[in-house]
Amino acid sequence: MAVKRKIIKERVPTPERPVEERIKSFVEVNLGYTFELAVKEAERCLQCPYNYAPCIKGCPVHINIPGFIGKLVEYRNDPDKAVKEALNVIWACNSLPATTGRVCPQEDQCEMNCVMGKVGDKINIGKLERFVADYAREHGIDEELLFEMVPRIEKKGQKVAIIGAGPAGLTAAGELAKLGYDVTIYEALHEAGGVLMYGIPEFRLPKSIVESEIDKLKKLGVKILTDHIVGKTVTMEELLKEYDAVFIGSGAGTPRLINAPGINLNGIYTANEFLTRVNLMKAYLFPEYDTPVKVGKRVIVIGAGNTGMDAARSARRFGAEVTIAYRRGEEDVSARVEEVEHAKEEGIKFVYFVNPVEFIGDEKGNVKAVKFEKMKALDERDSRGKRKIVGTGEYVTIEADTVIIAIGKHPNRLIINTPGLEVDRRGKIVVNENLMTSIPGVFAGGDAIRGEATVILAMGDGRKAAKAIHEYLTEKRESQNA
Amino acid sequence: MYRILDKKELAMKEVWYKIHAPHVAKKVQPGQFVIVRAFPNGERIPLTPIRWDREEGWIELVTFVRGKTTMRMANELKPGDALLNVAGPLGNPAEMKKFGKILAIGLITGIVEVFPIAKAWQEIGNDVTTLHVSPNPMVVLREDLENSVSRHIVEGFDLQPGWGMNEIAQELVKRAVAKVKELLESEHWDLVFIVGPAGGQKAVFEVVKEYGIPMEADLHPIMVDGTGMCGSCRVTVGGEVKFACIDGPGFDAYKVDWDELIHRVGFYTDMEKKAMEEYMKLFKQTPQGGEQ
Ligand SMILES: Cc1cc2nc3c(=O)[nH]c(=O)nc-3n(C[C@H](O)[C@H](O)[C@H](O)COP(=O)(O)OP(=O)(O)OC[C@H]3O[C@@H](n4cnc5c(N)ncnc54)[C@H](O)[C@@H]3O)c2cc1C
Ligand SMILES: Cc1cc2nc3c(=O)[nH]c(=O)nc-3n(C[C@H](O)[C@H](O)[C@H](O)COP(=O)(O)OP(=O)(O)OC[C@H]3O[C@@H](n4cnc5c(N)ncnc54)[C@H](O)[C@@H]3O)c2cc1C
Ligand code: SF4
Ligand code: FES
Repeated sequence: MAVKRKIIKERVPTPERPVEERIKSFVEVNLGYTFELAVKEAERCLQCPYNYAPCIKGCPVHINIPGFIGKLVEYRNDPDKAVKEALNVIWACNSLPATTGRVCPQEDQCEMNCVMGKVGDKINIGKLERFVADYAREHGIDEELLFEMVPRIEKKGQKVAIIGAGPAGLTAAGELAKLGYDVTIYEALHEAGGVLMYGIPEFRLPKSIVESEIDKLKKLGVKILTDHIVGKTVTMEELLKEYDAVFIGSGAGTPRLINAPGINLNGIYTANEFLTRVNLMKAYLFPEYDTPVKVGKRVIVIGAGNTGMDAARSARRFGAEVTIAYRRGEEDVSARVEEVEHAKEEGIKFVYFVNPVEFIGDEKGNVKAVKFEKMKALDERDSRGKRKIVGTGEYVTIEADTVIIAIGKHPNRLIINTPGLEVDRRGKIVVNENLMTSIPGVFAGGDAIRGEATVILAMGDGRKAAKAIHEYLTEKRESQNA
Repeated sequence: MYRILDKKELAMKEVWYKIHAPHVAKKVQPGQFVIVRAFPNGERIPLTPIRWDREEGWIELVTFVRGKTTMRMANELKPGDALLNVAGPLGNPAEMKKFGKILAIGLITGIVEVFPIAKAWQEIGNDVTTLHVSPNPMVVLREDLENSVSRHIVEGFDLQPGWGMNEIAQELVKRAVAKVKELLESEHWDLVFIVGPAGGQKAVFEVVKEYGIPMEADLHPIMVDGTGMCGSCRVTVGGEVKFACIDGPGFDAYKVDWDELIHRVGFYTDMEKKAMEEYMKLFKQTPQGGEQ
């Protein structure tokens, strides 16, 4: 498309629910584009050539971004066709666009590089991706497209076990099923989805979206065994006897705690526990739902990543006054920009350069305050480019009746104790360039090999591993037939 | 979905379930537990398989009806229905070795968890005495224990009119402490093991400590996932934070921070009470839902 385009500097905004309404409920904050608005935004895209388009280079899985955006404009008179074509382009690289469109840090990836940024607003790639996926789901277009692929599936007669139903495991399962393998997912919890289900709140990623992804997998013939904990219910050795290959997508589920006195006081939650109670167990609907959660009047969330924002914004929805305490400065906040903006709009306070040193309790063993050491930043930078911080010897105490620890997570311990499985010092599973682990036929990806990373990287690993498993099993088949 | 093959009331407030759960039956060892979810809007609660059949694929569970979930299970589930989820087996099996002479104590429903462990200990050549301290109407598994270990002692007491949970707990502790003292005074023991409410466990521990006898306790902090993912079950043992679901549930009683555990298990008491009250209200409005 070499036509010269008119430059439209401003982004087409996506409507959002007003603050007053959203801090009282868990319904989704951003309402997304309609077809008309999506086309308007799509028209702003300059359609950079595939080999040059900087957005594609910024995308961890290299979605043909101008390709899918172009379809919306090209078939603007036939919304269903436009969306189907666009989805087809996205699906070539990304199996979970409704999710990634919502949770990817686009500002650090595709959108960061967008050339439109030089003259105006960057293209809202994330919201366009989300639009395509949502419209497709709501109109049954995704299933239509999927089942145009199904009759072509040729059964391979080999079995693959997947450990963990997070984005890595779900993606690997989907890809392998499409290639004709007999796939079974082993999931420890009672619902599939991993962090998408138990961690990321409803107001950011509605659970019905995750459920629809899982439904599609089931329609592809993937079996999901919930309540099965690999390492307890079944061992790796047993899996290897029953299956021709195994993929580990067990994530980084072990919460990191702060080594400070008082950490086990009542009212101190890990973000995982707090979010699991709220999201997976729906404690915000207590007593209609049986699982309780206690959110006091004053809540301190320690940590300023996505998990910290999710915990803080969830606590806010229980009517609490919420403060995020972070040991570094604002420049180092690692959460998605949109989440930080939403948190601020919702009245969450941020306190920077404070590091918790003690949790203070009352006579009943409930937390009542957190003592922090004030920190300061040096000019020197660490390996990740963040300014180093040191203690000042000065302290500040902030009162709180609920504290949520959101300082990160380690890989799941039950998996890393698998005999023969090589892990690094931090418990991350070691893999080669094909994502194969130290155990032949066992592959791994997602947070289990990266520590805490992102949905898109987990999804990308799932696809890459599926490809590697396909090659591995093809060879196995051929050598058996020979 | 895990079919309820059979269900009956064993004693006052104690309900027995036989559940089809082949994945657990195949693997479970004495000392391990499962996490059960019984209703779409329900919680995940830990329960202990007391018997199982690896071939037939069933496990048996016993619940003490003490709050909303156990009450709902008792009221609303019948044979032929199903539990939505039975995850496991979870936790570490009890250590199976020759200790010598073992006193295994179960306070109230704690005895059902003692049963599979005590039985297995006896089978590998230990001399096991089980002690069940409980209100008389709640005495369970008496014959099973009598047939499984060297000696089974029931220290029962009658419930007095007007007693609430507090009075029962006080009486329980009083009885347990007195009986354990008597047994420790008159015989030699190599190991004491206890399952029951944290307050009772602590009181008994204080006695055992005076005699310096090794003691193990299965701890019951509040759990959510049971797989090491949430940290709800954290306890301090030997000055370190441990997750009872993957590091336990058995720990050296000498190293446990009992007061902290007692605080932690009581954290949701007010909300649990509220849940129960709301449930009872509902119940009164629809009496037909009452009897099974
Ligand atoms: C609160 C929160 C917010 C986040 N927000 C964002 C965001 O906005 N954008 C973004 O890109 N990323 C975000 N992330 C990170 C992202 O969710 C993860 O990187 C991603 O989910 C990793 O996917 P995974 O498939 O590797 O593992 P997970 O999603 O962790 O899934 C692992 C699954 O394996 C199961 N499992 C573990 N052990 C076993 C076992 N032994 N047997 C059987 N099953 C097992 C677990 O139960 C789980 O279901 C967030 C994370 C959290 C916690
Ligand atoms: C490893 C382990 C094994 C157990 N085995 C058995 C068993 O075989 N039979 C049995 O009757 N009980 C057992 N329990 C205790 C059982 O989980 C509680 O009885 C049950 O959760 C009560 O739920 P409720 O809604 O009826 O009562 P609630 O009113 O919710 O709670 C009553 C009390 O039960 C405890 N409790 C509540 N929720 C939990 C939870 N999620 N996890 C742990 N404790 C909780 C708390 O101390 C609480 O104060 C076990 C607990 C653990 C940790
Ligand atoms: S860089 Fe921006 S303008 Fe260019 S193709 Fe990508 S989204 Fe469109
Ligand atoms: S119950 Fe969640 S970590 Fe133990």
